[in-house]
Amino acid sequence: MKDAGVLTAGVVTVSLASKDAAAETRDTGGDPSKRWAMVVDLRKCIACQACSVACIMENKVPYDNFRTIVSTYEVKDGDKVGIFMLPRLCNHCEEPACIPVCPVGATYQKKDGIVVVDNTRCVGCGYCVQACPYDARFINPKTRTADKCTFCTHRLEAGLLPACVETCVGGARVIGDIKDPNSEASKLLATNEVKVLRPEMNTQPHVYYIGLDSRFQGKVGGEEALWRPGRDHEESLR
Amino acid sequence: MKFSRRNLLKTTVAGGGLAVFAAGYSETGKNLAHGYWAGEKPKDGIYGDAPKPEFSVDQKTGELTVNPEQQVSYTQCLGCTTQCGVRVRIDKKTQTVIRVAGSPFSPLSTDPWLPYETSVRDSFVALSHRNEDGLKYRSTACGRGNAVLEKLTSPFRITTPMKRVGPRNSGKWQPISFEQLVNEIVEGGDLFGEGKVEGLRSLRDLKTPIDPDKPWLGPKANQVGVLDPMNNGRRSLAQRFMKKAFGSMNYAGHGSYCGLAYRAGSGAMFGNNKKNPHAKPDFDNAEFIIFIGTAPSNAGNPFKRQGMQIARARSDGKLDYVVIDPVVSHATTKASADRERWVPIKPGTDGALMMGMIRWIIEHERYDDKFLTQPNLKAAEAAGEVSWSNATHLVIRQEGHPRDGRFLRGSDIGLDIPADAVYGKKDPYVVLDRDSGKMLPHSKATGPARLFFDGELEIKGQKVSVKTSMSILHDNAFQMELADYSKICEVPVDIIAGLASKFTSHGKRAAMNSHGGMMSASGFYNAYSVVMLNTLIGNLNWKGGTLFHGGKYPDAGKGPRYNLATFPGMVKPKGAPITRNKPYEKTGEFNANKAKGNAYPSKHPWYPNSPGLVTEWMTAMFNGDPYPMKALFVLGANPVYGIPGLRGQIADKLADPKQLPLLVSVDPFINETGAYADYIVPDTFMYEAWGWTAPWNDVPTKTTTARWPVMEPRTEKTADGQPITMETFFIAVAKKMNLPGFGEGAITDKAGNAYPLNTAEDYYLRGGANVAYMGNPVPDASDDDIALSGVSRISSVLQKTLKPDEWRKVAYVYARGGRYQNYDERFVGEVARNRFKNQMYVYNEYIGTSRSSMTGKRHNGSPYWSEPVFSDGTPVDKIYPKTEWPFKLISFKSPLQNSYSLGARSLRQIHPENQIIIGAVDAQGLNLQSGDKVRISTPGGSREATVSVRHGVHKGVLAIEHGFGHRELGARPHLIGNKMQPNEPELKAGINLNDLGIPDPTLKGASVFVDPVVGSGVRQGLPAKIERV
Amino acid sequence: MNTNIIELINNSQPVAWLPWAVQYFFLIGISVACFFLTVPAFVFGRTDWEKISRIALIGALSMGVAAPIALLADLHQPGRFMNFYLHFMPGSWMSWGSFFIPIYLIALFAYAWTIYRPALAELGEGDRALAPIYRLVAMGGDRTPGLTRLIGLAAIVAAILVFTYTGAEVAVVRARPLWNTPLLPLQFIATGFVGALGLILLLNRTVGDSDMVVETKTNRMLAIFLAIAMIIGFVWFALGIFGISSVIATALSSVSGSAAWRETVVWAIAATAIPFLIAVIRPQGSGWVTGLIALHVAWIFRWAVFIGGQGVPKTGAGLYSFALPNGPEGLLGIIGTAGLWFFLIIVITSFVPWRKDDSGTPSANA
Ligand SMILES: Nc1nc2c(c(=O)[nH]1)N[C@H]1C(S)=C(S)[C@@H](COP(=O)(O)OP(=O)(O)OC[C@H]3O[C@@H](n4cnc5c(=O)[nH]c(N)nc54)[C@H](O)[C@@H]3O)O[C@H]1N2
Ligand SMILES: Nc1nc2c(c(=O)[nH]1)N[C@H]1C(S)=C(S)[C@@H](COP(=O)(O)OP(=O)(O)OC[C@H]3O[C@@H](n4cnc5c(=O)[nH]c(N)nc54)[C@H](O)[C@@H]3O)O[C@H]1N2
Ligand code: SF4
Ligand code: SF4
Ligand code: SF4
Ligand code: SF4
Ligand code: SF4
Ligand SMILES: [Mo]
Repeated sequence: MKDAGVLTAGVVTVSLASKDAAAETRDTGGDPSKRWAMVVDLRKCIACQACSVACIMENKVPYDNFRTIVSTYEVKDGDKVGIFMLPRLCNHCEEPACIPVCPVGATYQKKDGIVVVDNTRCVGCGYCVQACPYDARFINPKTRTADKCTFCTHRLEAGLLPACVETCVGGARVIGDIKDPNSEASKLLATNEVKVLRPEMNTQPHVYYIGLDSRFQGKVGGEEALWRPGRDHEESLR
Repeated sequence: MKFSRRNLLKTTVAGGGLAVFAAGYSETGKNLAHGYWAGEKPKDGIYGDAPKPEFSVDQKTGELTVNPEQQVSYTQCLGCTTQCGVRVRIDKKTQTVIRVAGSPFSPLSTDPWLPYETSVRDSFVALSHRNEDGLKYRSTACGRGNAVLEKLTSPFRITTPMKRVGPRNSGKWQPISFEQLVNEIVEGGDLFGEGKVEGLRSLRDLKTPIDPDKPWLGPKANQVGVLDPMNNGRRSLAQRFMKKAFGSMNYAGHGSYCGLAYRAGSGAMFGNNKKNPHAKPDFDNAEFIIFIGTAPSNAGNPFKRQGMQIARARSDGKLDYVVIDPVVSHATTKASADRERWVPIKPGTDGALMMGMIRWIIEHERYDDKFLTQPNLKAAEAAGEVSWSNATHLVIRQEGHPRDGRFLRGSDIGLDIPADAVYGKKDPYVVLDRDSGKMLPHSKATGPARLFFDGELEIKGQKVSVKTSMSILHDNAFQMELADYSKICEVPVDIIAGLASKFTSHGKRAAMNSHGGMMSASGFYNAYSVVMLNTLIGNLNWKGGTLFHGGKYPDAGKGPRYNLATFPGMVKPKGAPITRNKPYEKTGEFNANKAKGNAYPSKHPWYPNSPGLVTEWMTAMFNGDPYPMKALFVLGANPVYGIPGLRGQIADKLADPKQLPLLVSVDPFINETGAYADYIVPDTFMYEAWGWTAPWNDVPTKTTTARWPVMEPRTEKTADGQPITMETFFIAVAKKMNLPGFGEGAITDKAGNAYPLNTAEDYYLRGGANVAYMGNPVPDASDDDIALSGVSRISSVLQKTLKPDEWRKVAYVYARGGRYQNYDERFVGEVARNRFKNQMYVYNEYIGTSRSSMTGKRHNGSPYWSEPVFSDGTPVDKIYPKTEWPFKLISFKSPLQNSYSLGARSLRQIHPENQIIIGAVDAQGLNLQSGDKVRISTPGGSREATVSVRHGVHKGVLAIEHGFGHRELGARPHLIGNKMQPNEPELKAGINLNDLGIPDPTLKGASVFVDPVVGSGVRQGLPAKIERV
Repeated sequence: MNTNIIELINNSQPVAWLPWAVQYFFLIGISVACFFLTVPAFVFGRTDWEKISRIALIGALSMGVAAPIALLADLHQPGRFMNFYLHFMPGSWMSWGSFFIPIYLIALFAYAWTIYRPALAELGEGDRALAPIYRLVAMGGDRTPGLTRLIGLAAIVAAILVFTYTGAEVAVVRARPLWNTPLLPLQFIATGFVGALGLILLLNRTVGDSDMVVETKTNRMLAIFLAIAMIIGFVWFALGIFGISSVIATALSSVSGSAAWRETVVWAIAATAIPFLIAVIRPQGSGWVTGLIALHVAWIFRWAVFIGGQGVPKTGAGLYSFALPNGPEGLLGIIGTAGLWFFLIIVITSFVPWRKDDSGTPSANA
């Protein structure tokens, strides 16, 4: 669709700088010879939510929040009905929308591509939460700072796998260094047709999907889940 | 400034404004006051609160550095009946579980699994990212398996023995000492101020009959019984207590309300109606599988292994599959849509579809002729087959013939069979040689026999009508046209034909599989017909076909080291089982009725083809038929929640101590059944307990999983320091009563030396020695194994209990969380290493000659379409017509929850509630939208719920996801001592189909609707209606 | 909506910008707009504006003081506000904003001070209790219209920056198509003026002397800004509906299925059209009604943008449900800010000689 060129361009140009402007101010750590990425083979996902729960356990994600969840949809195509399962997490974008907006430089990209939040600097303004096109971030109600998937960088640094990858029942989630052409992830990328979520956002996500139906690439048009009334239960549970 | 009314008003407004502001800003104020850390300060600036990794692995050298504050142990999950081997990561200081994932040694959690020789150290390294081994040996826990650790520390956990205060089910308890618990249960007395309660000591009467007029019921001891769930690795000890030591024959597991219909149908095929063995598709190598009434990766057992296998097979492998189910589930995923298909079906009518397929296959001669024509194993093997059936065996079909319905035997045709062997195992069946058409004993045949024969043979000078098993199946299948079958099951004719054609297009690399979907009132025959399709293509034992599990390393048998199976003074229980699972014709009731001239019907149904039936247990004991019970132990089972329609029939009786004087629940929680208990014995839970388990299927290699306390149990301790558990309880009771098989000298080794059974360890560690020494004994555990695996926690008790040469071998097994045959030993060439070698029953004589005790009619010995009926043979649709009950209600398993996992918040936050699922077209007719509140009713009850409108539901079907609608397990707070449990109304969420289960209207007294042939609880295809509220 | 896709499981994102943010944008928008309405009188010397401008000035001051207080509350880590100044991030509009706000407020206060100085000095005469303080604050009490003009010009620049940053900060968020349009800053400005004029109408009726000339004139301006707001709204809608802007089209489609959003739209149209008509037909005597509705328009627009906007899942189906919490994160926070403003306006009108004009006697409302 053609944009109202001028109007939109105006907005885009006032977005002053890219993530680099923000990142420059700090030592970002991470091994620059690596680029971590995840390939999710949707054909292998069984929506068991092991990943979702493992992430909660590993990262002590507070109740009612998620760093990852497997969105599950019933889909009817003609007379064929089936379930579509879509694990969602931070995409560790190459051009993250979340970083340039941060007013204090609390969120940044490590040299290995992993986007992290420094919770000792974050002011909890929530701007990055708004800016991420994937609803991958949230304000952690316990720490009151921005939170999201870290690719379990603490585990990767120890030579281990992220919690969600370790426990992926279907074997759908594969993490790897895509600068290494022999990594499983690189091989999957080389031999499969992959898609990313919301490519039009130009964030260059580094979570790739095999078997992603384009109807689920962006905001899903469909009937929403019968969510429970909300988070107000939280009070009574505390 | 002058003081005026205006000023007063302004000051008030200003003050008020400031006050409201102060209130509104209170939070911010607080946050500001906290200074730099308004929230809780996490451990790390980037990693947040994530605990330090359990170990780290140098990516180059592979050197392992462990985190001394944590322990990683291989043990077993009990998040569902799959009982996977898992790795549990523990914070040593707090003795809490940080996280759970899979054990790389366990085939239930990983595939391929690590060679058993691998050291614990190397196993840790294999889990790491080094060389991407962690991806290859990825060993997982499912969503539930990741979450259930929460339940260890749940505020609803019971850790101390409790005795009820006030009437049953009043929700008030008094914690009591272990000594008091044991004393009161053994000695009885006026325990509740309601009159005398008989204790176990006086109930263990192995002489006095229950009813002097009916000695066939057996002694009083039978009035004590145990209900337990699946074999969670501790059953052998409970059975030792109840059956072998106490002497009651009444001990039953949950099979009858799990998947008995399928298992019995399979048992009919494999000729064992007590153990009901079954085979599973070889997911890894099959090219086509039809799942009918089971939904792999939604549920199914082994849930996780199947889920993993099917995911891989449909993506990297060759598998196409079809799921025949009234509702769509996680078994189908759009992402690989061309590999799979959902075919909707009307509930309870699978037999019609199957018989349609069988008819088509016979008509088109698409069955495996080479396989079916082999009359014995040798001939089969000579023909290149690896299993065999009785398809060619001749059956006498002649009304009035004394052996009508039985196989023609060698002795019948004049073979010389010793008198005591006539019609026994040694008396061969008879087949017709294919070429000559001559009769010959099946065992003598060296080549194929005639598959179809329907006619008269001259036998000992008399003409006798006989048919081959296959001909009987043929006739059963040809009773109806494809179109008729199609009309019944609502699957179009071309799809029936297409399924039959596709199924028979892959040689042996196709398979049928089923389970819970068979739990309808026509379940047994539906299931038998499903399994028959496998037999028609002869896929058993073949790679890509169906496989038996690889077996286990038994712990509790007569064992290579210790005899845990028998002991001096062991009792062999006698009499009639409470659940009437024996041939009616062998009961005193039959004799009495026959004497009166009307042998049929019996008062209540008898189930000659079934194991113990918990479905019938409670109604039987409250109806007093065959007899009432005096004391009941419920070990981690929950029939009141799990059996459709039970609650409505027996809740008031269960609440009445006069009808059941003693009810004891052994459970870490108060469940819907335990809420009625007189006493609750706390129990160790999951990673705190001992046990030896085997996968129930789908693992082609020998597998025994070890459950051992990898952390400090949370239950209270007895005076001598033992944690209070089921074992401590039964051991203490047995010792107090001086029962055989417990206490000093209860266990013997090969040499006849005696050892005590005073603690759980005395039993399970010796069981462990049996596991370790079975076949080729395992090596000794190294110090490193012991230290890294956390087995050091138990090494002193290992050394104390076991012989010096044993303990390190048992430690080797515990360090690896069990004993596992290696991955590369699954097959020999194209054939399963562990083959089922007995015949398969295209016709099952035992079934075919058994009768319904209610109608006196003979059952059919081969699959046929049998519509859902009540026990007197009346069709369900006749009593509950469609006009009044337009819907069929079914149940399906939650992909996330099991029956007791709702307490785990991390699961609840993903999926907090279930709904009544209804198809879009039906919903439109009723003007219903997702989220609407409705009232759903069946002849058994009525409840309010929310609807969810879907496309993936067959028309006329309502479906309820299982695992919600709890009334206990936290849904209702109990008062314990003077402490109230927390109130978590979320645990009440949703609806339980079983509250809508129906009684059998053709029976007198309390009843539960069950399959009339085998007594499995009916949860599929209940008549129902729905209206907006 | 595609009814062939039914979401069975997904999480729902809580709002990260709380109702406090709505309050902030409401307060700052009105403050800045009010400030602009003081400019004709105090910077450009238009005496016919004097009365309106004086009311507008207390509006700008009261709202301006309250605004950063609300903003601070929207930070989940308010104690770290200094990080804004320790780590300047030129890529982030919010970072710029953290500088613009104090600049604007300082300029506004300085500007107000130069305006009130003579009157303050007069109040410092005599022996009333607060006189010494007034004397101190007045710092001599010279009339310095030149200085006022100079500071006023600086404040204009700062105010423009505030308008720019508040608008751009939201409009650059590509992830939210409802926000990601250059029309949004314009609409913030338009509705800011609507709110400011509404506030002036109400202040004129309450702390002021219900001057009908003021009311008529303000109502006329209100009608103009309401018309502008309607036009912007219409242009936005047209760009979306005719597919000229794909972003807006996406935004429209993301909420088109929602009854709540349809109600909001009807509401917004009514809330703009009704006061417009009243202001045009009966500009005199309708100040209470038009004022209240106008304030409401400014607020509800921000509510819909921030709370409603955050209710649109970026990837999931349908909308998130938002239940307004009762506590400080919700209702109490909203009422609390209102309370704060009441307090401020009473304090200001009580202690500041806000209505002293060049000819009259100084008077605070005490
Ligand atoms: N996630 C999860 N996994 C589990 C469990 C759990 O609680 N949760 N429990 C474990 C246990 S104990 C068991 S026994 C297994 C059971 O595993 P399954 O047998 O696979 O599960 P069920 O849900 O009982 O039934 C299977 C399917 O039968 C369908 N069905 C219902 N009625 C009919 C019918 O009339 N015809 C046909 N063709 N289909 C029908 C249901 O819709 C359902 O999808 O799962 C095990 N795994
Ligand atoms: N409507 C409907 N009904 C069903 C089903 C369905 O799909 N739909 N599924 C059926 C199936 S397949 C099955 S298998 C049955 C299951 O039904 P049951 O076998 O009766 O078992 P559960 O309901 O799982 O309850 C298990 C109890 O064991 C306790 N427990 C857990 N671990 C331990 C332990 O280590 N020790 C002890 N002592 N207790 C422990 C738990 O707290 C819980 O109270 O339900 C059946 N009922
Ligand atoms: S919430 Fe934290 S990380 Fe996100 S933009 Fe604000 S300060 Fe940066
Ligand atoms: S997914 Fe969102 S949070 Fe993650 S890097 Fe991309 S923009 Fe940032
Ligand atoms: S990589 Fe780690 S943080 Fe990210 S979703 Fe997986 S478990 Fe959660
Ligand atoms: S663990 Fe793997 S299979 Fe299970 S839901 Fe997550 S991505 Fe899918
Ligand atoms: S399937 Fe999941 S819940 Fe069941 S035993 Fe295995 S890991 Fe535990
Ligand atoms: Mo089961």
